[in-house]
Amino acid sequence: MIRMIGGEMPEYAEEHPPAGGVLLRHLLERLPTGIRVLVAGPHEPTLVDVLADRRDVTCLVRSQPDAAALPDVTVLCGTLSKLTDADRYDVVIALDGVGRLCSPEDTPLDWAESVRILARSLRPGGTLLLTVENELGVHRLVDTGAAASARTGDAWHALGDLNDVPGRPDRLAAALAAEGLPVSALAAAWPRPESPSLLVTPETLSHGPLDALAALAAAAVSPAYPGRPVLSDPRRLAATAVRRGIGAELAPAWLVVAQRAIRPGQAAVTLAPALFAGPSGTVTEVSGGSLPAGRVLEEWLLSAALGRDLPVLRRLLTGWMTELPMAGAGNVLVDGDRYALLDPAVPDQPDALARFAHTLLDGGYHHPWPGVTDVARLIAVLAGAAGIDTPPDTSGSDGPHGRREQEAQLSALRERLADAEERCRFFEIELEKREAELGRAKTQIAAFSGNLGYRAAKAGLVLARAARNRIRKGRS
Amino acid sequence: MHHGNHFYGHAHVLAGYCGLDPASPPRIDGYLQHGWNVVDGLGGGTPYAPGSTIFVWSERTRRRAWSMNRPLATVIGAPFLYLLRSEPPAPRAGLRSESDHTSPREGEREGTIWYPFHGWEGQQVSGDHHRLIDEITATESGPITFCLYWNEFEDRRIRALYERAGRVVCHGYRGYMRMRTDPDFLRGQLAELRRHRRVASNRLSTAVFYGVAAGCEPAVYGDPMYLDKEDTPTADRIRREWPELHGAAPDPETARKIVLAELGDGHLATPAELRAILGWAA
Repeated sequence: MIRMIGGEMPEYAEEHPPAGGVLLRHLLERLPTGIRVLVAGPHEPTLVDVLADRRDVTCLVRSQPDAAALPDVTVLCGTLSKLTDADRYDVVIALDGVGRLCSPEDTPLDWAESVRILARSLRPGGTLLLTVENELGVHRLVDTGAAASARTGDAWHALGDLNDVPGRPDRLAAALAAEGLPVSALAAAWPRPESPSLLVTPETLSHGPLDALAALAAAAVSPAYPGRPVLSDPRRLAATAVRRGIGAELAPAWLVVAQRAIRPGQAAVTLAPALFAGPSGTVTEVSGGSLPAGRVLEEWLLSAALGRDLPVLRRLLTGWMTELPMAGAGNVLVDGDRYALLDPAVPDQPDALARFAHTLLDGGYHHPWPGVTDVARLIAVLAGAAGIDTPPDTSGSDGPHGRREQEAQLSALRERLADAEERCRFFEIELEKREAELGRAKTQIAAFSGNLGYRAAKAGLVLARAARNRIRKGRS
Repeated sequence: MHHGNHFYGHAHVLAGYCGLDPASPPRIDGYLQHGWNVVDGLGGGTPYAPGSTIFVWSERTRRRAWSMNRPLATVIGAPFLYLLRSEPPAPRAGLRSESDHTSPREGEREGTIWYPFHGWEGQQVSGDHHRLIDEITATESGPITFCLYWNEFEDRRIRALYERAGRVVCHGYRGYMRMRTDPDFLRGQLAELRRHRRVASNRLSTAVFYGVAAGCEPAVYGDPMYLDKEDTPTADRIRREWPELHGAAPDPETARKIVLAELGDGHLATPAELRAILGWAA
């Protein structure tokens, strides 16, 4: 049932994907049953379906076409400020954030005002599940477009990063506490605010194991940019941020669980230290200390390549191809001589070595074989270094195409072209020298071909033949 | 590519290591470093085709080459080390076959093989050979083998001077423009080195490095002599940089560590890897 509350958008359908994905579904499935839930903002219909199972669900959306596409629940269609506090809910879910709750009919509300309205519809002790996008998140840092210059149909009030959204997990918690919403759980989210596949609490991010977490962040970010250009490789940025201890600060978003609590009570949702959904859709909950130790193979390989550390590079390649030849380098943790899978649910990758060759070349990384610039030959070199005699076939490259990496490739190509042209001139000069030498040699050969005796005998033979012919002529 | 790749049969050694016909090594996609040096791996005056790979012996040389605007330097290790891998020293006793004349058993080493600093096609060496020989005979306690480079070996006057002081050998001609290349040059040198306890020269040079790698104790002493139009600051730089390798009796362990690093020990490629690096992949 759809109820128009005012300020609805009859012609507009949301252009960007709604909040959704396996991981959010996993979280929402675990909410208590028999409660009243408000789902504010665009969420995937499957999420609403999951919630509607033994719960009383109301949705709030601004777009009328989107409202019509929602499952059979109560739908409030209109703008946020028309939401009254006549109805109170046990849980308010705003996993798309508060950015898509107001319509053009509304006075634009800032983040705090929006949160305040949502909080009002919570019953005392109720729980708010809120996603807050980080303006300095990895996804923004690699974005080729600026949020402040967005041209989409809902960018009528685009402030970009000049808004009042808290910019750090601790400030976010403080801001919510100031609104009477103490935070009971918080997690940094990758790869995109609306559809995270990795959630890690700041405590986990500060205690580690950072290498494994960095690898999870890189793996989460990797498939998030299909066919989309980026400024630089988000995998490296995400992984480096985590490894350097600013993972939570540079995460694309934070997911918070806050309570409108008179007194501390049981939170409706708890967040595991880390939670991730692998490519196969399996959700893995990681308790503290259950992540494997060790360094991610891909990063170790890259650092050995950059450092031209051939002995280490060969040892790693050989170990990898002996122990886990079907695992992508980003899914292998190396601890001494032990090679372990980071996420065993990731499907086999028979062309893992070839993919790493692509990573080296496409990423513009320095490596110990700078003269090898085509991927088939680099694969052969890597295979040889790994102790494999028959090099594997080439494969497609994976990962997003970064403008910075493209720029590096462009300048490398320019350099190679300039070298090739110069080499052509070099060879031409060499050729001229050789031709001159050959010319001199030919003259010498002509001058000395046949010695004096030979030439005298030849002349004698000619004279003798002439004399014989003359005699024969005389006889006839 | 460059005919220098065939000097001393280097390309032939690598082809053999790669499982290819050592008699006719395929074209190498770049320049092989053919002697130890303190520049970019190329011999002085080698015409460099821009954008070509230089296959250098050590990581240190690669870094230096990079700083000299040769970013394509690639470390593969010295061909001599590849030879050492395929020709391990004969066991101490008993197991050697009758026909094996090349590798003496470990423990049969004796005396010093002494490499006087040499010239080449383009530069002659000048100095007082008499004085040098006197200093050598005064320093060395065991028998001395003088190994002359072909350049001096063919000079009967110089050869006679050394013949008066000891045994004189020559490892042969290194080859030039792919003519008269002796593909067994290094093999012969290795066998000769393995007969001696010490390797010495009046300059820190390739032969001393090979000798140490082959198990000799090094020494660098005596009048260093000079090449025509030589860049003497380079020679001085070498003495300053590697004092541990200079003198009549440097510490053998320290010397061995330095020498192996300069030859690229630990950096040798597998045969399959080397084939792909050199552009020999099938």
